[in-house]
Amino acid sequence: MAVIDLLIGALILLVVGAAVTALLAKRRAMCGYVAFLFVAVASVWVGVAAFHVLSTGSPIAGAPVLTIAPLNSSLVFTVDGLSAVFLLITSLIAVCTTLFSVRYMLVDERYSLVRYYPILLLFFASVISVVSVRNMLFFLVFWEFMTLASYVLVVFETDNADARRAGLQYFIATHIATGGILLATILLYTNAPVKSFEFEALLESTRALMATSPALIHLILALFVIGFATKAGILPFGFWLPNAHPVAPSPFSAVLSGCMVKIGVYGVLVVFTSLTPLSHFTTVWGVWIAVLGTVSIFVASLTALQQTDSKRLLAFSTIGQMGYIWLALGVGLALLRISPAVAVVALMAGLFHLVNHACFKSLLFLNAGAALYRTGTRDMDKAGGLMRIMPVTAVTAIIAALAISGIPGLNGFASKWLIFESGIVGGFEIPLLVFLVVVAIFISAVTLAYYMKFLGMVFVGKLHIGQEVERREVPVSMLVPQVLMAIPCVAFGVLPMLALKYLYVAANGILPAGYSPAFASLFGSSPLAVNLSLSGLRSGAWGPVAILVAFVGCLVLGYLISRMGAAQTREVPMWLCGEEHDFSEVRYPVHSFLLTFNRYFAKLYPPIPVPRLPRPTAILKLLDIDRWLYYPGLRWGERIIRVISATHAGFPQLYVLWMIVGAALAVIVLFSMGGGP
Amino acid sequence: MTFAINLGLVLLIGPLLAGVVRKVVRARVHSRKGPPIVQPFYDLFKLLGKEDLQSVASQVVQYAPLVAFASVLVAALLTPMGMRAPLGQYGDMIVFAYFITIAAVAVVMTGLACSSPYSMMGAGREVMMHLVVEPVLIICLITAAIKAGSLLMWDMAAWNYVNGPAISMVAAAVALFLALQAQVGKLPFDIPEADQEIMGGPFIELSGPKLAMFQWAFFARQVVYASVLAVIFIPWGLTFAFPWNVGAHLLKVIVLIVLVGVIDVVNPRLRIDQAMSYFFGVIFVALVAMAFALIGA
Repeated sequence: MAVIDLLIGALILLVVGAAVTALLAKRRAMCGYVAFLFVAVASVWVGVAAFHVLSTGSPIAGAPVLTIAPLNSSLVFTVDGLSAVFLLITSLIAVCTTLFSVRYMLVDERYSLVRYYPILLLFFASVISVVSVRNMLFFLVFWEFMTLASYVLVVFETDNADARRAGLQYFIATHIATGGILLATILLYTNAPVKSFEFEALLESTRALMATSPALIHLILALFVIGFATKAGILPFGFWLPNAHPVAPSPFSAVLSGCMVKIGVYGVLVVFTSLTPLSHFTTVWGVWIAVLGTVSIFVASLTALQQTDSKRLLAFSTIGQMGYIWLALGVGLALLRISPAVAVVALMAGLFHLVNHACFKSLLFLNAGAALYRTGTRDMDKAGGLMRIMPVTAVTAIIAALAISGIPGLNGFASKWLIFESGIVGGFEIPLLVFLVVVAIFISAVTLAYYMKFLGMVFVGKLHIGQEVERREVPVSMLVPQVLMAIPCVAFGVLPMLALKYLYVAANGILPAGYSPAFASLFGSSPLAVNLSLSGLRSGAWGPVAILVAFVGCLVLGYLISRMGAAQTREVPMWLCGEEHDFSEVRYPVHSFLLTFNRYFAKLYPPIPVPRLPRPTAILKLLDIDRWLYYPGLRWGERIIRVISATHAGFPQLYVLWMIVGAALAVIVLFSMGGGP
Repeated sequence: MTFAINLGLVLLIGPLLAGVVRKVVRARVHSRKGPPIVQPFYDLFKLLGKEDLQSVASQVVQYAPLVAFASVLVAALLTPMGMRAPLGQYGDMIVFAYFITIAAVAVVMTGLACSSPYSMMGAGREVMMHLVVEPVLIICLITAAIKAGSLLMWDMAAWNYVNGPAISMVAAAVALFLALQAQVGKLPFDIPEADQEIMGGPFIELSGPKLAMFQWAFFARQVVYASVLAVIFIPWGLTFAFPWNVGAHLLKVIVLIVLVGVIDVVNPRLRIDQAMSYFFGVIFVALVAMAFALIGA
């Protein structure tokens, strides 16, 4: 069996799983476990196929599944290095979030699960398909499936007006964006020498247009970039994101942040590597992408600092971190023509941060989901100090938060470090990039600040929850996904070369052959340390293993010193300057934390109004079958039955009379049909 | 041996320099005799033997002082102090900047975990100060990196020694000196601790060995920050000959810390918003330095 069949098998499995879970929706727990089973098997298959591609370094393709002759397009599933990276993170997130959902979705019995698991499985199937086709027509079809499925899941809580409004905003924003992408595709298609939607044909079309009409190419690239930026949550286009994330069910928020917004990044990479030849357009748009990324980093992170809703804080953080990824990709694309070494490192840095963000942000949403599951509130003022009752959740949350804020030794630092290094060295060529990197570094301290706030208010500190809250850890099926996702955060942090080796394959695959310098000449040959050499000489170093050993040594030294005096410990009450207060009276509110700093940036992110559409009354009337079909029919039926029931007066004599009359009639009918005895 | 020199400098000279500042600068300004120079060591050893009072049973409070201590030591091992840093080949300036940040993270986490309104307020102030002071260090180091064409700190120092002084490096040195006062937590910027207002802020609930470890870490941190300024931005006296190098470096560090001590004694504390406005100005100076470096000045 070919490896690609695993992928196709997984897709079939997911679609079958959607049907099965739809039938089982009434039995909530069983439905969840069955969905998990399907997703787990499918993810393992997809993971194996993707890993095969990354380890051999050669893309795999299957036979055409479907061919549309008039459009010269056929559906061929293809996995190259780049799609393999996205497939791997999708399968990890799919397994973890589905397992997390099983217990999480049991709580609220108002909503039928028929709108959850089947749609979720179809969503995963469409994500897997989107990244493994090389035909713009089918790309758009699966892209639309993905958008629709995610819309249904965002508005899962239909009773919640906020969810409906956020869903509408999401629906409109992404569809305008998709319209732009579609328009750009059609523009390319109509100008193609060979009329086809295959990436290769569209690439030829771009090449031809570049010579004749550069303005049109700029328009097409702008439509693509804006379209994918909207999906990726890049400001100012991704304004739907902070509204949609908090209202979706927590496991699906994790999927949105960890998986779906990343597909926007995939789209941009495909546009600039598979649909556009290397030219000055790449450089110009690379700079624009870097600028857009930096705007997102700046605005979203400073806004995250002001949030009091835990999931909304995480949503803004997603925009900020996507900004880092876009900054890195922008740097890479801008330098692709000028300085291949820096460009390759920047692209890899972006992909590395993307993988890392998929791990720790999904984990953080699961953490926030676990806290929400136990306490029932997302308001950081109402519940705090959960480490006391939920130690495992709290420890994984601390790992994820430290990783995303870039504490050395965890994966977020490794990727941010690469982004900064490539940006600074890239600044030797394009000075603007250095200023963008300075903003990014400043904001990485802001990231640290709002995660301190998140951890400090929700997990660390004195326990502060309502009386009705059960004081114990969440069930095991919700703990396992959290622990699973924390593992890569630590592993890639300590051994970044492990990930870089495979990401090099992915980055190498999308660039012209022989373009990028050899791996060892970029990152050195030691598997334990990254010895970066860009622009010829050795320009940076990060040896996590050596430094962590030194750190542990210093910790031991510190411990020995602190135990020198053999000090005794004693429990005492909190010192409030001699006053006696209940803790709830003196608890420092979230709003006050960092208030002075936030005042400087309070007006940075104006609230974006959701459009109020007039209701399409005629269509609604037509859809209301009850009104024009069911109730009129019911009234007619009632009338007929009333006439018949008049014959049933309740006297036995009357019934006997009816029987005699009926028998006589029957005899007459039989005689007339049989033609006499 | 380089390990021993760097660790010795920060662990032993750090507290000693604090003693010197107390005796020679502060007591002189106050017209009093002042404590002996080794008084900080007496204080540390006394604290190590004192009772450890716990108002919250939190793992975070338990380990944060050790983490702060260890991270400052690692940052010290990454800093060239008159010669190549012992761990210099394993970490460049960004690694250094992040490691020195861990100490601040430990302080903030301690403040948050203690949950006292004073410690929370102190933690918030620590975060805000960090947000405006840390960019200055980073921008100045990037300026040096642009000039040197490398992000390794020793390369930057060597470049400035051979090719300096440049306008951009001098401007960066000025900006970094203006930030040094806040980096080492001295008046007018000791806002997070602010003994007279919020009684030590994040440290209000700490006592005994935990307090000692934090204090020792901060004594060491003074030397680390002063060393970065001295070795990269004030390269004079760097002769590449071993014993003289370390001596010259030590001298520069002493001068810097005494200067910081003088400013500390003669200034009143600023409010947090005043401090932030001030540092937005310093960040601007640093950005100008970087712009100069980018145009080759």
